[in-house]
Amino acid sequence: MMLADAHDGLAVRITAIELEGEAAAWIGAVGLHEGEELVVLRRAVLGGPLHVRTGGGGEFAVAREVAGKIAVVKLDGSDAP
Amino acid sequence: MSAEPSCHTEPARPSGRTPRELEGALTIALVGRPNSGKSSLYNVLTGGDAHVGNYPGITVEILEGNVTLPSGAHAIVADLPGFYSVEATVDAATDEGIARAFLEAMKQSGRSLVVVQVLDPTRLALGLRLTAELLRAKLPLVVVLTHEDVLTREGHTVDVAALSDAIGAPVVLVNARDVSTKAVVLAAIEDHRREGSEAQGSGKLDAAGIARSVVKDVGSATELRRRRMTERLDSVLLHPLVGPVLFVGIMALLFAAVFLIADPASNLMDRLVGLARAWLANAFGKNLVTSFIADGLLGGAGTVLAFMPQIVILTVALELLEASGYLARGAFLVDRLLRLLGLSGRSFLPLLMGHACAVPAIAATRIVRDPRERLTTILVLPLMTCSARLPTYGLVLATFFGHRSALFRAFIFVGLYFAGILTALVASWVLRRTATKGKGLPLVLEIPSYRVPQPRVVLRKAGQAARRFLRDVGTVIVAVAAVLWVLLTVPMPGSTAAPGIERSVAASVGRAIEPATRPAGFDWRINVGLIGSFGAREVMVGTMGVIFGVENAADDPAPLTTRLREAKRPDGSPVYTTRTGLALLAFFVLACQCMSTIAAIKRETGSWRWPAFVMAYTYALAYVAAVLVYQVSAVFGIV
Repeated sequence: MMLADAHDGLAVRITAIELEGEAAAWIGAVGLHEGEELVVLRRAVLGGPLHVRTGGGGEFAVAREVAGKIAVVKLDGSDAP
Repeated sequence: MSAEPSCHTEPARPSGRTPRELEGALTIALVGRPNSGKSSLYNVLTGGDAHVGNYPGITVEILEGNVTLPSGAHAIVADLPGFYSVEATVDAATDEGIARAFLEAMKQSGRSLVVVQVLDPTRLALGLRLTAELLRAKLPLVVVLTHEDVLTREGHTVDVAALSDAIGAPVVLVNARDVSTKAVVLAAIEDHRREGSEAQGSGKLDAAGIARSVVKDVGSATELRRRRMTERLDSVLLHPLVGPVLFVGIMALLFAAVFLIADPASNLMDRLVGLARAWLANAFGKNLVTSFIADGLLGGAGTVLAFMPQIVILTVALELLEASGYLARGAFLVDRLLRLLGLSGRSFLPLLMGHACAVPAIAATRIVRDPRERLTTILVLPLMTCSARLPTYGLVLATFFGHRSALFRAFIFVGLYFAGILTALVASWVLRRTATKGKGLPLVLEIPSYRVPQPRVVLRKAGQAARRFLRDVGTVIVAVAAVLWVLLTVPMPGSTAAPGIERSVAASVGRAIEPATRPAGFDWRINVGLIGSFGAREVMVGTMGVIFGVENAADDPAPLTTRLREAKRPDGSPVYTTRTGLALLAFFVLACQCMSTIAAIKRETGSWRWPAFVMAYTYALAYVAAVLVYQVSAVFGIV
């Protein structure tokens, strides 16, 4: 599953960043890297960004295009549909 | 004389240090992620002292201040822009690129350096990733955990010794508002320098694991309340439907408040200036000296001074929005719209800052990582309604709409802001399909926690804005007003016009370009004002004040708005009508009348091509819009 497909409230773990090298490295430095746990808080209208909270305590706005390149798995016990 | 108009950031002083002092001085480089508390620590260490540092290979300004270490040795604190990584490949013009170039230049120069990473302990795992990169770069590192007060309030503690052992670098925990912070940090720096950095960690860190092991949750009802409050606020402010509506409402309210709150204060100051001029004329009679002071200096600089409240209030409002954490949320809300226009939420922050002043906003585009998006943002930033436009807006509204309600005038005022924003967005759309065409990088933006703005910081910013404005009124505008008074008093050689101001050098020049500006309803006086305000748009009001002061020197002093409204042609028809006012507003919304902005664009793009482009397209748009507004408003029966 890609992060863009995760519904609001779902807790996930990043398994892969499918962006080109330098973009992936920068996003990792910002706080979105393989193994990081996230909760999708909300998304903006009309295909706008996702608002996520990381296990590291940070909150980020992530464009839908980027979220479509972040592979995630649902965490056990998360509120999945 | 200052070259910077009223709205610009406090210019940093050139360093007063001698080369000899520089040679041996330790450089303390403050680094950290955005919103980590770096600026607060810089202010604590240096007392707010700032001048421009000269670092080889660095083309942008790095602010630095002087400190004395506990041993008595001299050191320089360099305040680097906030950044996330020194390893990820980035454009050299972005904050990351600048920081990396600085650190590399320092290493190569062999100058004595300690890197102080400012780290927010409430987001420790995120900050430790940068720590690892700095250690891998073999930089002598001291970690300063700020926000101790916030950490305590949130019911957490950090095992500082365990953290220091885990990363292999000294760590101190401080509260940037505490007076003891400076001594603690400087002592840690000096200790580290004495001990050397050979024993530092290698940078192989499990950031999340370390954060989990050293931060203890001791339980706090405050933290629970804060989280709930944040969630409640975000559920409203970032709601898919309510959020955007509230956002537009807040922006409109902000701009309207700037007008509604400042309007009475501006009127009062305008009246005081009028009284001062009347007193001068009564006390000393009407002669060349009193004309120079009353019509030249007070008519020019004094009239502009009346608009200081608007500029201060705008500064305070923007600071409150930024410090509270709302601006980043605004970026989240408008990202999709900006993406359609070829920008992203990251461009939103500099674009909004542009409403105070384009110069720091152009520097702030360094947070935009995509070079094409960054260039586009720079090119449209001059269209944002900066505070230097406010005097002209205020003058036109008071002159031609003074008989309407304050709410009506506020409505037009807000409309002018949105006209600037709309034009900038359309310009972005066009640019991204032409001059700056290419695929953009999508948004990843950190959203900071909500924070209550510190009154002390907000008041300091307000004070700085007021001082800047006073300085510019006292330098640029006074100088222009004085020169203009001379040009309006000295007759043009060979002129056949009627004696008096009509025969002056300034009037002759203004009249020479009337054929080009007449379709927009501008006469020679406005032309002189436009020429005078070519370098700094706030000069316009002062220029008009001087012209009407000199022209009506024989009459009793009256407010400039009255003089403009009552100015008559030889046939008795009014010189200026509402149509003239609207055309002038259209011109001022669009024209880039600011040499400091042009210089900032040159500095950031490294070429004269883009500043020239900005001048050309904004002036062309401004002229066409002014002519259209003047001509079309007649069709609608506006007089």
